[in-house]
Amino acid sequence: MNWASAWRIARRELSARFRGLRLLLACLFLGVGALAAIGSLTKAINEGLAAKGRQILGGDVQITVWQRPISAEERAALARYGRLSDGQRLQAMASNGDTTAPVQLKAVDALWPMVGRLELADGRHVGAPAAGTAWIARGAAERLGIKPGDSFTIAGKPLRVGGIIAVEPDGLGEGFALGPTVIVPMGFPDGAGLTAPGAMYRSRLRMDCAGACDAAAIAEGLTKRFPENGLDVRTRDKASPGTETFIARMGDFLVLVGLAALLIAGIGIGGGTASYLEARRGVIATLKVMGATSGDIARIYVLQIAAAAGVGAFAGLMAGVAVLPLVVKALAGVLPVVDGFVLAPWALARAALWGLLVALVFAAGPLLAARTYPAMALLRARVAPVSGRQSWRWVGAGLAGIIALAFLGDGSAKTTAIFLGGAAGAFVLLSALGWGLARMAAHLPRPRSPILRLALSNIHRPGNQTARLVTALGFGLTAFVVLAVVQTSLDANIAARVPQKAPDYFAIDLQPGDEAGFRATVAGAAPGAKVRTVPTLRGAILAYGPAGAQTRVADMKDIPEDAWQLKGERGLTFAQDVPEGNVITDGAWWPRDYQGEPLVSVDEKLAKSTGLKVGDSVTVGLLGVERTAKVASLRRIDWDSFGFNYVLVFSPNALAGAPFKLAATISLSDKREHGLLRALTRAYPTASVVEVGPLLRDARGLLGQMSAAILSAAGVAVLAGVAVLLGAIAAARASRAYDNTILRVLGAGQRQLLGLLLAEYGVLAGLLALVALALGTGLGWLIVVQLFSFDFLPSWTYVLGVLGGGLALVLGFALGGSLPLLRTRPAEALREL
Amino acid sequence: MRALLAESGRATHKHIVTQSPDRKSAILARNLTLSLGSGDGATSILKGVDLTVPDGQVVALLGPSGSGKSSLMAVLSGLERASGGELSVAGADFMGLSEDQLALARRGRIGVVLQAFHLLPTMTAQENVMTALELAGVADAGPRAAEELKAVGLGHRLHHYPSQLSGGEQQRVAIARALAPRPALLFADEPTGNLDGATGAAIIDLILNRRAETGATLVIITHDEALAQKAQRIIRIADGRIESDTYPSDTYASDKYASGEMA
Repeated sequence: MNWASAWRIARRELSARFRGLRLLLACLFLGVGALAAIGSLTKAINEGLAAKGRQILGGDVQITVWQRPISAEERAALARYGRLSDGQRLQAMASNGDTTAPVQLKAVDALWPMVGRLELADGRHVGAPAAGTAWIARGAAERLGIKPGDSFTIAGKPLRVGGIIAVEPDGLGEGFALGPTVIVPMGFPDGAGLTAPGAMYRSRLRMDCAGACDAAAIAEGLTKRFPENGLDVRTRDKASPGTETFIARMGDFLVLVGLAALLIAGIGIGGGTASYLEARRGVIATLKVMGATSGDIARIYVLQIAAAAGVGAFAGLMAGVAVLPLVVKALAGVLPVVDGFVLAPWALARAALWGLLVALVFAAGPLLAARTYPAMALLRARVAPVSGRQSWRWVGAGLAGIIALAFLGDGSAKTTAIFLGGAAGAFVLLSALGWGLARMAAHLPRPRSPILRLALSNIHRPGNQTARLVTALGFGLTAFVVLAVVQTSLDANIAARVPQKAPDYFAIDLQPGDEAGFRATVAGAAPGAKVRTVPTLRGAILAYGPAGAQTRVADMKDIPEDAWQLKGERGLTFAQDVPEGNVITDGAWWPRDYQGEPLVSVDEKLAKSTGLKVGDSVTVGLLGVERTAKVASLRRIDWDSFGFNYVLVFSPNALAGAPFKLAATISLSDKREHGLLRALTRAYPTASVVEVGPLLRDARGLLGQMSAAILSAAGVAVLAGVAVLLGAIAAARASRAYDNTILRVLGAGQRQLLGLLLAEYGVLAGLLALVALALGTGLGWLIVVQLFSFDFLPSWTYVLGVLGGGLALVLGFALGGSLPLLRTRPAEALREL
Repeated sequence: MRALLAESGRATHKHIVTQSPDRKSAILARNLTLSLGSGDGATSILKGVDLTVPDGQVVALLGPSGSGKSSLMAVLSGLERASGGELSVAGADFMGLSEDQLALARRGRIGVVLQAFHLLPTMTAQENVMTALELAGVADAGPRAAEELKAVGLGHRLHHYPSQLSGGEQQRVAIARALAPRPALLFADEPTGNLDGATGAAIIDLILNRRAETGATLVIITHDEALAQKAQRIIRIADGRIESDTYPSDTYASDKYASGEMA
């Protein structure tokens, strides 16, 4: 029979039987839909980054330096590629009478913005503000209680509100700030004394060549030419490195979620196809009686399964594309995504192909087994099921395709490989468990209770559903556990990372001579408050290692990922005593008023990643001056303490003469409003005082959003898990319908039959709950620790509760679904057989 | 008497086989055996059946439950592979053929009607018949199926699904389906077993009439003595062997096929 004839028969039979393939349809819909949405979203973000890279950066190349202006050489090096725009960024306090607010001060020159336009809330599109005027973010206007036309001060200098910022073209590239943005004309910070030596300000120079220059080559040239200038160079294609890291990590996770959803869907596809074909036994045998060969049968059912898979995959693609605008809308403020409808043909093709390959892998076994259903099945009530061993070639080809596609994808190959390996391991484990269970049940002594005896024989009898149920329930319950582990770990991390005992205020940019007055002001406004001050400087680590054989950072080809402290400038300090909360783990701290060889104490993690040892030396660059110190000790730092923590702490003599400022933390003895902020802002207008409470709320909110995003993505996999779970039980239940009816005819009561179901599913589900707990915990650990670099802090009560819920779902569905059959009169049930 | 019948049956059978080597046979079986299972659990179902059925003959295989008559039909129609012996059906040597080769040998040459109808539940009456025609490679399957259904009195039920048809109507569809590709051989396994007396009688008449129109060889498997009497030849099966092989009436004995064999 040719394919056309096979299709005619397949279509004829399918038109009335599509219902039997609902599980396959639902699983492919979910799996392909998840992958399509994920692929399209990744493309939308990447396109957004590419399209908006210049706008996010405000040019093609940008250099930033700390605490100094851009030098003439640096400026000249960039000037030959395009026009230049200057800017400054710094933390400042804005005041309106007694009301104060920390703000991110952004000074821009007349060329700003070179790319994009600043849009004000009143609809105007403007450039840099005029002298004495500022564009302010809505947050600043609200906190200071000012509107356009009103006046306010920064560092004692008056400014008029020219307008409220609606869209800041380069806002996303600015990075983290301790307050809303206030845009002022270039020259304002200098005039207000905010850029005095030692002040924590950044000078920024942007070059715009309208995209017509090789930004990466220019960046490389700058880094090579000025290796020790502490330049932070960014290019249009890496405008927002923080965002990219987040996207890459999120992309990895989303690909994992998609693969997991598809894998779980695959289990459902296998189960759905097997049940469907099992129910077609009679039809297949009839077709064979009429002269259909096994090849004809294979053609007919391959076409049916392919048609259903095609419909499921297509619906999934449509749903994936349709849901994207909603996701884009939700992410528009957070990530640079392309607006509107995004069509990612390759991502969609990959999602569909993946779905169909998974369908091939999981449906090949049942399909090839169905091919060999004998015609004699019509004459003998039950012929033992035939094995699908010959399917290995198809399964192998499908798997090879899936792996190839996985590695062609956007996610990291390592993550994908780990996932595929883990999934294969879990699958083999569960299959082995199913096989082992059936074997064990076959060899157990027969219980005396007929119900238990039957429950046991259901597990191992010919045509048993044990292996299928074990795989489906195992994966379904594992998905529940993974989600619970990840969710509670993320919640616990949010609670743990954002400290409960943080200081109430931070103050930065205090002059060293102000310390006594500052303490007095605090004591006056808030008696009993604890003040801690540290000197702060900024500098880059230029070289490290044994004295005389130091490694120059500028000469390093690759900086190790965990030695992030070697990149760019860092905050540095000096101290007489071991900083609070730090513990010396090697070497010794210097004595008070030490005047010998310059010494430094190094973070033990940095020492580990760079190989630094006590006795080695570290060279830093401070405003163009190199200073070398010997490593006297290594320290363990409690990074979660939310205080001032420094990777390098020098002996005071090591940094003598370098201009520095003070930073302070203030911990109140009670939580009453003291007017402290007002008093400090008035007394120290050039310093920035930040209230910690709102920051913590922001941090919690951000982590909460991230956790919600992760969980809603993982929810797709769980949804697929539930579908598979219910599908497997429904299939198993259908195969029990015959037994139950006959048992009822023989006089078994409803309770006995319910007991039988409970015994069979109870044993399976109970055992699988333990396996799922182990597997799910392992997978959850991989996601939380390896992928997101969080601590593994699951709430076991919650995890066990969720697992219990999953078990209840299994048993509830198995028993609940059987009730109508058990309630039916035996005669009626017999007619239904 | 019974033993005598059995003896005469065997004798007649031998006579047929040995006396008509030149006749074209629809079925030619020698020492046919069928065992199911293996090792200690093996069960011997057919224990050496010798049988020749000439083209166009109407044969009833009669026997009690478990005698092996349905298994014999399964082997003769290629639904089951014989364990041993020789078997040639509709000119094809069935021995050593695989399941698929048997299916191909069956296709268009052998029609089967079963007790439980076994219509394809998701297809209409016409589609059921069309499917058999398409499997046999017939091009205009739709109109041909409609004609076949009209011929069995179901011209008004073409688009009904099996669940919308009575038992008798379903069996008529099964008969139309089996005969539509014009098979040389038609096997009917207890075709009236699921029907009431009147309907059953009508179905038997229909099968015999349609067979007469198509000229197919017909093998009816039954345990109903009255039904068996309508056949030209009655072969009684017991314990996997042919117990007797007789011609119930002179009408049939003088039939052109029978006379040819008896000569």
